[in-house]
Amino acid sequence: MGPLIPNGIITGNWDFVVAILLGIAFGFILEASGFSSSRNITGVFYGYNFVVLRVFFTAVIVAMVGILYFDYFGWLDLTKIFILPTYLTPMIVGGVIMGVGFILGGFCPGTSFAAIAIGKLDALFFTIGLYLGIYLFSISFPLFANFYDSGNMGNVTFTDVTGISASWFAFAFTAIALAAFWGTAVIEKRIRKNITEYKF
Amino acid sequence: MNRNYIYLTLLMLILAIGTLMINKTKEPNQIEPKQLLFELIQPTRYVSTDQVAKMIIQNDPSLELIDVRNIKEFEAFSLPKAINVPLDSLISKNSLLNFGIQGTKVVFVSNDDIASDQAWILTKRLGYKSTYVMKGGLNLWMETIINPKQPEETESAAAFATYAFRQGAQLYFTGAKTEDSGAPKAKVEVQRKKKSGGASGGC
Repeated sequence: MGPLIPNGIITGNWDFVVAILLGIAFGFILEASGFSSSRNITGVFYGYNFVVLRVFFTAVIVAMVGILYFDYFGWLDLTKIFILPTYLTPMIVGGVIMGVGFILGGFCPGTSFAAIAIGKLDALFFTIGLYLGIYLFSISFPLFANFYDSGNMGNVTFTDVTGISASWFAFAFTAIALAAFWGTAVIEKRIRKNITEYKF
Repeated sequence: MNRNYIYLTLLMLILAIGTLMINKTKEPNQIEPKQLLFELIQPTRYVSTDQVAKMIIQNDPSLELIDVRNIKEFEAFSLPKAINVPLDSLISKNSLLNFGIQGTKVVFVSNDDIASDQAWILTKRLGYKSTYVMKGGLNLWMETIINPKQPEETESAAAFATYAFRQGAQLYFTGAKTEDSGAPKAKVEVQRKKKSGGASGGC
């Protein structure tokens, strides 16, 4: 059956409708998980709050295992879904920059908008910086255009690169994620004893 | 610790283990049998040797001749601009990129039309559109285009018109040209289908 648009079940004109619905759901989940608070988010780097890790790992493992089942039941054709092309080195560098910005600013792009929605001033300044960054990036893009496009590995998946089958990877990742949930719960408990609890 | 967390952890673990049990013998997506049977009995899935000859002479860019014979036979004789995709390697990822290109008509060619019919059915089952079979194959090609027979005097004017065309085509394909138009032959480059990209996004 799926993906709906490539299979012609709904036309491409629904793109934006689907995007808006998904955006609403995404924002809602971010806010409901407490991601509109930068203390919650950066807590993962200081070891007192692992909600980011838990929420994102939950999303990843549910989606990962769910997609495999959807493919098995014939609801979603995995060969037709879009896979983001991999640019290895630029992605690592980008990830590091994003991580630094994450700790410094206390938000990632998505969560900053969720925080603005509930009226947080720090998020407002964060997004002003975000747009400035986008602007600076755009005008200085020619300087690092070569690096930006370097090392294109194409639309590859982990399975394509390593040969490890998707279900084994999903299983291993799920096991690691579940272990991380319980492990971080222990860490959190210990650290929170010696820390002033914030009301978020 | 909340008991629900334990249940959820176990549930997730069981689901993840379940993915290992999933049987992954992938069957290619196929069209409905009804649809296949319907298309199978359409006479329009055949093109005549005359039509193919005409398209080659006119340098029709939409024509994509796929020769499904083996390489040896292909090298011994083939139609101009034909692409060799042997029947036994038809269903490979690389070969399949030749099909389903927007605006092209794939015409399967073999010695008769049995192998090309098989190729037609295989690709049709995989859902590729605008594929055709050259009726009679290269044998009929030899009979009609390379050695056309003069029609009887009692036959229709259409038969004579066809004959006249075939005579011209014969000259074109056997190289016995009476006059050289001087126009350079257009080279047809096969455009392989690009993988469609979707929207990109992130966090």
